[in-house]
Amino acid sequence: MERRELLRWLTATAGLAALEGLAPEDLLALGRDVHVRAASAGGSVLGQTASRTVILAAERILPASDTPGATDAGVVGFIDRMLADWFDANEREGFLNGLPELDRRSRSRAGRDFADCSEADQVAVLTALDEELTALRRAGRGGEANRHWFGMLKYLTVYGYFTSEPAARNTLRTYPHPGRFDGCAPYPAPASTPTRP
Amino acid sequence: MLIQSREPEYDAIVVGSGMTGGWAAKELTELGLRTLVLEAGRPISPERDYVEHKAPWEMPFRGLGDRRHVESHQRTQRNSASFDEGSHQFWTDDVENPYTTPANKPFFWFRARQEGGKSLIWGRQVYRWSDLDFEANLRDGIAVDWPIRYRDLAPWYDRVERFIGVSGRVEGLPHLPDGPFLPPMDFNCVEEHARERIAARFGGERLLTIGRVAVLTKALHGRAACHYCGPCHRGCITRSYFSSVNATLPAARATGRFTLRPFSIVRSLVLDERSGRISGVQVIDARTRAERTYTARLVFLCASALESARILLNSKSPRFPDGLANSSGQVGRNIMDHIKWGGATGEMDGWTDRQTVGNRPNGIYVPRFRNVTAKHPGFIRGYGFQGSAGRRDWQGGARSAGIGLEFKNRLAALGPWSLTFNGFGEMLPNRENRATLHSTQVDAWGVPVLHIDCAWGSNELAIHRDMNVSAAELLEAAGAKDIRPDTTGPSTPGGTNHEMGTARMGRDPKTSVLNEWNQAWDVPNLFLTDGACMTSSANQNPSLTYMALTARACHHAVEEMKRGAL
Repeated sequence: MERRELLRWLTATAGLAALEGLAPEDLLALGRDVHVRAASAGGSVLGQTASRTVILAAERILPASDTPGATDAGVVGFIDRMLADWFDANEREGFLNGLPELDRRSRSRAGRDFADCSEADQVAVLTALDEELTALRRAGRGGEANRHWFGMLKYLTVYGYFTSEPAARNTLRTYPHPGRFDGCAPYPAPASTPTRP
Repeated sequence: MLIQSREPEYDAIVVGSGMTGGWAAKELTELGLRTLVLEAGRPISPERDYVEHKAPWEMPFRGLGDRRHVESHQRTQRNSASFDEGSHQFWTDDVENPYTTPANKPFFWFRARQEGGKSLIWGRQVYRWSDLDFEANLRDGIAVDWPIRYRDLAPWYDRVERFIGVSGRVEGLPHLPDGPFLPPMDFNCVEEHARERIAARFGGERLLTIGRVAVLTKALHGRAACHYCGPCHRGCITRSYFSSVNATLPAARATGRFTLRPFSIVRSLVLDERSGRISGVQVIDARTRAERTYTARLVFLCASALESARILLNSKSPRFPDGLANSSGQVGRNIMDHIKWGGATGEMDGWTDRQTVGNRPNGIYVPRFRNVTAKHPGFIRGYGFQGSAGRRDWQGGARSAGIGLEFKNRLAALGPWSLTFNGFGEMLPNRENRATLHSTQVDAWGVPVLHIDCAWGSNELAIHRDMNVSAAELLEAAGAKDIRPDTTGPSTPGGTNHEMGTARMGRDPKTSVLNEWNQAWDVPNLFLTDGACMTSSANQNPSLTYMALTARACHHAVEEMKRGAL
């Protein structure tokens, strides 16, 4: 994390004015927290461990291939922003309390945390969760599926990915704007369409 | 006591800088009048305030909007069709600008307070009325007769369309008159197919055309042709779609006779009891709350249908204890909107090797076909369909099952084509659909707010039911499969953002507020040309008619002024 960003984060979360009132031990704790955050790519809600889990899960949901994957698209940053500033406290807690379920399932399946599992085990854990969502939807409990922590994770991954610049440029190839309208253009678009990462 | 100069400060004051205020400003200044435009909101600078090219990843919530702000400050405004993360700043704050409704009769009042008003965020669809509409009240014995006919307005439609720029197809329909159109926007391949099939099936009784839209397809008066980026309602740096900020206000400014005063909330109009004319416009500064009165020989009220009614109701005097220009008791009554959320969608097999490129800010249009020649047994008046064909994209599958590369590729690929028709139905005037002043509640500036009591009647609901049936017939004719009617149910009144009728034109001062020139029967130097003036609603999108009425009223007012009658 850049020093500039760090300062902005401090201002936004703690409030620099409030720092004056903190006891030395609070300042030390805050300092440790800041350093942890500075070391990770994570933002203001997902800690280092949770960020790592989310990054890996998102990449398995939308992996890189000849087109960018969830990591290339910076999906974790979007998810963190949504958790911090968009969802309400209940939704945020539901997500954060649900996420360790990935580690629990991974340990019972492969004896390791999700992040340390093989790709095949990670995909198996995610697929089982996805099937549980599908079962809820088939039972007419779609709202519940959407509110489920894994439903949130998957939807935010998809939404964050397809609204990212790498996906718009390279996966969807809808960006940059063509500056014209053609109501009957060839599909897929000819491969010569310019792209850049 | 402050002695005011007897000479008014301006020739004319226009209240509001939106769709009609912009037109009044342009016409009055071009006709030589020193004109003050009072705008309740902030000034708008395209270079600073337009955000149409902001990509989703440049917005904090990728287009999902600042939910916490919206839920606490724009719970009503967010229901407007063009409200999004890029455009929310063009709607008002509901906390500062409240209104009330009966608990069982919700009403959406979408409001815009900034230079340009709602012309920044309008849908840009423009359709002329015909005598099918102007004669409708007389024919049906409903409300009062319009004091004008199509021939009175036709030259003003011409004038407005030549200035704003309307792209569309000449279709030769008597009940949806053509204008001096710019080249039409293109259909996509599925729409083109549907047009042919519908023409073959319905033999001209039903027609699918491209939307007539106030977006340039050729450069006009220094504004560039559309480059198909898509979100017009966030602004348009190339001025390709018509708004006050993009076209009429700059024209007014160019005369050197134009003054725009932003942050000027009009509390009331001040009547000079002796002359029976408006002597001033009382304004609250939105930022300082300081009050002052501006004077002019002529006042054009263009604050939007409900706000203009509110200003009149708030302008009480011994002579008009129930509100200015309200001897008929009709101010605030006869609220109309257009009923929507009836229609259908169907899947169109084929064209899998075709896609649309670019974002066309326009759709298709099916002009009214009910009660045009044959009489429908279930209702009077009618409706038109807007819609489009398109391919399903990733958003349609965002919650579908799958993990991994196959899932990613499936979402990235375009799905099948579908074709959709959405109805917009006429609402009848009904004196019980009414806005009154709330007895105690005031807005953030201490101005009494409106209580809006409005509901659909049985004719609107019958129209709404028929939309689903006839949309399915159109889809069937077009060759669609898996046809699904719109099950949302009728829209909330006000939700189409076409509110009108609260100070209607008529032929009799006892039953109407305005005469055939949009001039208040009771107050000769007061003209009201926004949606409040409408005597019936037709089913066409109304802004074009408001603009034509405004231009016509301005020319009449200035002629009267010049011959000393005003």
